[in-house]
Amino acid sequence: MDDLRAAVQVIFRDVFDDPEIALQENTTAGDIEGWDSLMHINLIVAIEKQFRVKFATAEISGLKSEGQNVGSLLQLLASKLAPPPRPVK
Amino acid sequence: MTAQHDLESRLEEFLSAAEDERQKPFRELTTALKDSVKAERFDEAAAVLRRATLPSLDYTSLQTLYRIFALLHCRLASPKQVARLAIMSSFTTKQLTQLIELFLFAAGVAAEIYEADYGVFHQEILDPDSGLYDFKPKTLFLATSWRDLLHTPALSDDLHKVRTLVEAELAHWSSLWEMVHDRLGCQIVQNNCASPPWRVLHNHELRHPGGLARFVSEINRAFVDHAPAFVTIHDADHLAATAGRWSWASERFFHHAKLPCAPEYLPDYAHSISSIILAQLGLVKKCLVLDLDNTLWGGVIGDEGLGGIRLGQGDAEGEAFQAFQRYVRDLRLRGVIIAVCSKNEEALAREVFEKHPEMVLRLDDISRFIANWNDKASNLNTIAEDLNIGLNSLVFVDDNPAERALVRRFVPEVAVPELPADPSEFIRALELHRYFQVVSLGVEDYKRTEYYQTNAARREAQASTRNVDEFLESLQMVARIGPIDATSLERSAQLINRSNQFNLTTRRYSVADLLAFTKSENWITRTVSLADRFGDNGLISVLLAKLEGEVLLIDTWLMSCRVLKRGVEHFLLNHLYKVAQEQGVNKIRGEYIPTVKNGLVRDHYAQLGFKQIGTEEDGRTSWELSITEGFTPRRVFMQEMRTNG
Repeated sequence: MDDLRAAVQVIFRDVFDDPEIALQENTTAGDIEGWDSLMHINLIVAIEKQFRVKFATAEISGLKSEGQNVGSLLQLLASKLAPPPRPVK
Repeated sequence: MTAQHDLESRLEEFLSAAEDERQKPFRELTTALKDSVKAERFDEAAAVLRRATLPSLDYTSLQTLYRIFALLHCRLASPKQVARLAIMSSFTTKQLTQLIELFLFAAGVAAEIYEADYGVFHQEILDPDSGLYDFKPKTLFLATSWRDLLHTPALSDDLHKVRTLVEAELAHWSSLWEMVHDRLGCQIVQNNCASPPWRVLHNHELRHPGGLARFVSEINRAFVDHAPAFVTIHDADHLAATAGRWSWASERFFHHAKLPCAPEYLPDYAHSISSIILAQLGLVKKCLVLDLDNTLWGGVIGDEGLGGIRLGQGDAEGEAFQAFQRYVRDLRLRGVIIAVCSKNEEALAREVFEKHPEMVLRLDDISRFIANWNDKASNLNTIAEDLNIGLNSLVFVDDNPAERALVRRFVPEVAVPELPADPSEFIRALELHRYFQVVSLGVEDYKRTEYYQTNAARREAQASTRNVDEFLESLQMVARIGPIDATSLERSAQLINRSNQFNLTTRRYSVADLLAFTKSENWITRTVSLADRFGDNGLISVLLAKLEGEVLLIDTWLMSCRVLKRGVEHFLLNHLYKVAQEQGVNKIRGEYIPTVKNGLVRDHYAQLGFKQIGTEEDGRTSWELSITEGFTPRRVFMQEMRTNG
């Protein structure tokens, strides 16, 4: 998870143009200056491109809603990146 | 390594990187750009940022460039050309607007933008006290979609009913356009409708009278057929179609944020709009300069000979080169000038055009043919000089990355697109840039390349006569003169926005401005078209003058350089003198505003017998001709024909 957080942190720094951003699991949208609905889209687009994943409509809105934080983003991303479970023999 | 050199080489590394390997050089370039902004080297950073702003960049990278632009632009001297643009829409335009601003900046144009709140475009247009009318744009972009159509048919509507719905829809939009135009006199850029990707009737959708896709395509057709000259229909449907309708019309981002299309296609969308605005300002490329070996055919003519190069049927790559030639020829037929710039023995290079049976391009398609061993940067300078156009009107296409890098380095004004290795991708690589955007096309355009050829015939005739008067006499010229009317409106606007050399004041006006002048009693508008025994030159001169009490003030006087030294200016002066008498004024005044390009006409008024009455610090001069002191008409060598004047 730390590797993933580091990779996502690079994207955050690029998108928000702020090399000082340090992501913690409990970082929320309110903690990062300029994380408005426009920047949220920029962030989603950059993450989708980098990791070749796709967020569902509800997930895009969900990630910025009350009670969500960077931890929830990382978990969601990890679940999309995880290899599919092997079929039971 | 100096800082400037470092920035330049970062730029070149980025520009020459293949599209899928651009990430690292892009990051290094943006870091270097930010450093130079911090070091307050603003002009340098701006120059590099302009050239890095490519339409092929992805959404995220362009956002990064936009942020650097935002840091920079208030620190720069304001550019000469300004686009005053209002954007009104039924979807979120924030990102689109930023990217339009960025692409305009890349072309050297400052944008002043008014963005109305999302979804209120009807109110903004109808209410005379709205922000739109307060802002007074020169261009209004109506960013709408099929969701804004008010008269979509029911599935049960028959053909006749749908026809009345199409008419009602068109009437609705026409009334909005006319209202804006009456109140502001501005140009309007109106989206057509990108057809939705789904079709509830599947294959039958186009045939059934009440099908949605059928209705959308009928509206799109009605828009282009009936939009007045001051409305440009923006083909959003083509953007969706070339991207793939499902990918383009991202429902996900529409429901989430009301984006008009998937974010990854916003750059192309914004580029399309900015290219239209630039074309309205006259900022389009005029000439395509082509390399030969491995650009127009496969292989090297000097090594492989006529029989060895790959071109045309029987070889897949050869067919791709031929298809590219066909595309280039079609560009020529619509008025783009074609030139050749190649490192080759000239005789060998010409022989391919004369003898190879599969060549589509022929020598008479090429307005300037240079094949030698000089460096291409100086050859491009020669081409621009000989064709009498600016270096910034050239697009240089060469398969060789080293030549491209050299040209970018030494003649940065020339546009040099990256070219993929595969010739079947050349057309797309060029199209992407919209270098030759068109806002209107007249007979003049597709005749233009003929002028360059008939000019050669005239030059020969000149050689065979003994003096200038005799030569001019022998041309049997006929000049048609009259006010700007519907037939000459668009060509006049084109000349006004493109002429740089024989242009006394270099004032730019849109079609909408000209329409307003023609309706005003205080403005005199004149155009001159010139024919001679070698052919018709078409509309070649525009004059706009304003009545101010006892003075007739020449606001704009320009002429195409194709007809220099024919005495058109004397002809126009004689005409103007008569107009002044008819209007009862006692003075004609003119001014000269110097630019980098119009040194040619510095002494224009002096040569026409005007007296100088003023000089400003910036070099502009003003001139006066008295009507009451008597006037000997100039000798002219053309027969006059008046058009509805």
